[in-house]
Amino acid sequence: MSSIPGLGIAKGMALTLRRFFSPKATIRYPEVPADVATKFRGRLQLLYDEHGTLKCETCFQCAQACPIECIDMGGFDTRGRYHVHWGAAETYGERREESALRRSGRTVPEATYRSFDPIDLAAVDAILDAHEHDPARMLAILEDVQEAYGHLPVAALKRVAHGTGAWYAMVYGTASYYRHLRFERPDDAAQAAAVAAHRPAEADYLAGLTASLGGGGLGR
Amino acid sequence: MTEFLATPAAWPRILLERADAADPSDLDAAVAAGAFDGLHKAVRDLGPTATIATIAASGLRGRGGAGFPTGEKWRACASQPSTRRFVVVNGYAADPASRTDVTLMERSPYAVIEGALIAALAVGADDVVIAVRADARAAVETLEAAAAAATAAGFAGDDVLGSGRSIEIAVRTVQGAYMLGEETVLLRALEGKRGQPEQRPPYPAVAGLFGEPTVVNNVATLAAVPWIVRNGPEAFAAVGSDDAPGTALVHVRGPQGEGIAEVPLGTPLRQIVDLVGGAGTGHSLKAVIVGGPSGGLLPADALDTAFGYASLRAAGAHVGSGSVIVADERACVVDLARLLTRFCSTEACGKTIPCRIGTRRLLEVGDRMAEGRSRPTDPGLLDDLSHDIVASALCDHERLATLPMTSGMRYFRSELEDHILRSTCPAGVCRPIAAPSGAAR
Ligand SMILES: Cc1cc2nc3c(=O)[nH]c(=O)nc-3n(C[C@H](O)[C@H](O)[C@H](O)COP(=O)(O)O)c2cc1C
Ligand code: SF4
Ligand code: FES
Repeated sequence: MSSIPGLGIAKGMALTLRRFFSPKATIRYPEVPADVATKFRGRLQLLYDEHGTLKCETCFQCAQACPIECIDMGGFDTRGRYHVHWGAAETYGERREESALRRSGRTVPEATYRSFDPIDLAAVDAILDAHEHDPARMLAILEDVQEAYGHLPVAALKRVAHGTGAWYAMVYGTASYYRHLRFERPDDAAQAAAVAAHRPAEADYLAGLTASLGGGGLGR
Repeated sequence: MTEFLATPAAWPRILLERADAADPSDLDAAVAAGAFDGLHKAVRDLGPTATIATIAASGLRGRGGAGFPTGEKWRACASQPSTRRFVVVNGYAADPASRTDVTLMERSPYAVIEGALIAALAVGADDVVIAVRADARAAVETLEAAAAAATAAGFAGDDVLGSGRSIEIAVRTVQGAYMLGEETVLLRALEGKRGQPEQRPPYPAVAGLFGEPTVVNNVATLAAVPWIVRNGPEAFAAVGSDDAPGTALVHVRGPQGEGIAEVPLGTPLRQIVDLVGGAGTGHSLKAVIVGGPSGGLLPADALDTAFGYASLRAAGAHVGSGSVIVADERACVVDLARLLTRFCSTEACGKTIPCRIGTRRLLEVGDRMAEGRSRPTDPGLLDDLSHDIVASALCDHERLATLPMTSGMRYFRSELEDHILRSTCPAGVCRPIAAPSGAAR
C-alpha cells in the first residue's frame, strides 16, 4: 500500500509518458546487429498473410538449419527430444495440406503427423541394406519404400532417418517435395478422388495453351 | 513422336547430324557415321587443356537457357583443386511444351554421350551422370543402351581409348517438379535432397554434386561438342551469330502445326515462325511466346528479333527451352500471360520470398485483369513488383517468371488497359468480362 493515494498510478503513467516521448528505434537489422541479451532465445512464431493463410510453406529450411533439431513441423517428436513446434499441429495440418494440394492434389492425411501405425519394418531394412544405408541415395530409398508399402508410412520414414543417419527433417523434406512420392495409403478413396480431381501444373499449362490458342490449338 | 520440320538447305545440321539413323542406339552405324571421332581426337591429339581451349575458341554457349560460355565453365571446374569431379548432363527437359531435349536424347544418344565423355576428359572427371526425366521412357532406355554399348566398346569405363583415364557413365532418372531443370536443384535431387535452388556463387563448377567441382551442361550443349572437336572451333564459330555461334533446337507450335528444328542462332524469329506456316491463312499473328513457361510475349512487330541470348533478353523474352509458340488474333494476351505466370507461380519452390510470395502477387495481378477486377494501381504494382523480384531473386526462375507479365505490359499495353481500365477483353477470351459486341470468338 502506498502512503499517497494514486502514487502507483502516477508512477505507471510517468513511465508510459516517458516511453511515449522517447525516440522510437527502428534498427536496420541485419545491417545493424540487434542489441539483445546473450541468453535471449526469442519465441518462434508463425505469421499469417492477409488472406489468413500461414506464410510457412513447410519447406523445412528452418528445421534443417536448426543445429539441435528442435524445430519440427507438425507436433510430433522425431527423436525423442524436446521439440519446439512452430504453432499447433492443426495449423500445420492446414498449411501442409495446402502445400501438398498445390503440388499433387493430394492432401496430407493427418494420420501422417499423429503417432504412427506400427508396421513391419523388414522391407525398409532390406531396402536400406541394398542402398548401403547411404543418405545420398535418399530418393532411390524413398522410391523403393513407396514401392514396397504402396505409400510412405511415417514409421518407415523414421526408420530411414535412423538407418541413414539423415535428419528426419531432411527425410521428410525430401519425401514431401517430389510429386511422385505420397504419404497416403493407395486404398484411401477420398485421397484417390482428390488426386483425380486435381490438375497438375503441367497439365494446366498444356491445356491452357491449347485452349488459349484458339481453334487451331497446338496443332494436335 | 514429334516431327522434325523441314529447314532451308543452307542451315547446317550439327546437333541433328545423325538424327535420321534407323536405329539411334546402333553403335556400329553411329561410329561408321563419325561418332566418337571427336573423343579419339580429344584423347590422341588435344589432351585436356587444348580441348578446353578448343571449346572456348568455338564460342559455344550453354543451350540450357542461360547461355553461359561452356569453355569458361569447364576451365573453372578443371582449375578447382579436388580429387573428385563430376560431369552432370542436364536432360531434365523441364518445359512440358518443348520436346527438343528429349528428342535429341532419343535420336542422337551417342552425340550426348560423346560430348559428356569429352567434357569429363577435359575437366578430369571420373563420373558422368546423365539425369533424364523419368517419364521420357524412350530417352532413358536409348541412353542406357547406348551407354552400355559405348562402355563395352571401350569409349567409356576403364582406360578410355588407352588414355589411362576411367570414366563411368550412369543414367539416372529424376521426376517430381519443374524446378529440377535448374542446375543447383538437379544436383540436390541427385544427392537425394529436397529440390530447392542454392545461392550462386559458389557455382557448381566450384562446389557442385556432393560439394565437388561439377560441370552441369545441357544435353544440346554437349551434343555440339564432338562436332566442334572434329571440325575445329572456326567451323563452329562460322555458324550462327558472332556473340552466339552454332545452332539451337527449337520446338515451334502454331495453329498450322508443330515440330522440332535445328536453327542457327541469330535467325530472325520470323523465319522460325514460318517453319510451321506462321498463323496461317485467314488469321493474323498476334503474339509469339518465346522461351517456355517463363517466356516473353512478343508482338508481330518484333518478328525481326534474332533468336539469340542477348537479342531475346533485350526484347523481353529468352531462349529458355527453345519453345516458340504462335498465337493468332483469337488469343488474349492477358489470358496467356496469366497462364504462364500461374505455371511459374505454382512451380516456384517456396524457398525465398520473391519466389514464394512475389510470383503469387504477380499472378494475382493477372487474375484481377482477367476477371475484370483490376485496381487502378495494378500497372504500377506490376512494375514495382517485377523490379523487386528481379532484384532480390535467389534463382533465375523467379526472375524469368516476371517476363510474361512485363512483356505483355510492354508490347500490348492497350489490350491490357482494356482489361484494367475498361474491364473488357478485346479478344473475347476472358470471362466473366463481357466481350465488346462484335468480337469474334
Ligand atoms: C526454372 C529453370 C528451369 C531450367 N530447366 C532446364 C532444363 O530443363 N534443362 C536444362 O538443360 N537446363 C535448364 N535450366 C538451366 C540450368 O539451370 C543450367 O543453366 C543449365 O543446365 C546449364 O547447362 P548449359 O550451360 O549447358 O546451358 C533451367 C533453369 C531454370 C532457372
Ligand atoms: S518450414 Fe521453416 S523456413 Fe520453411 S517456410 Fe516454414 S517456417 Fe519458413
Ligand atoms: S524458385 Fe524458389 S528460389 Fe527460385
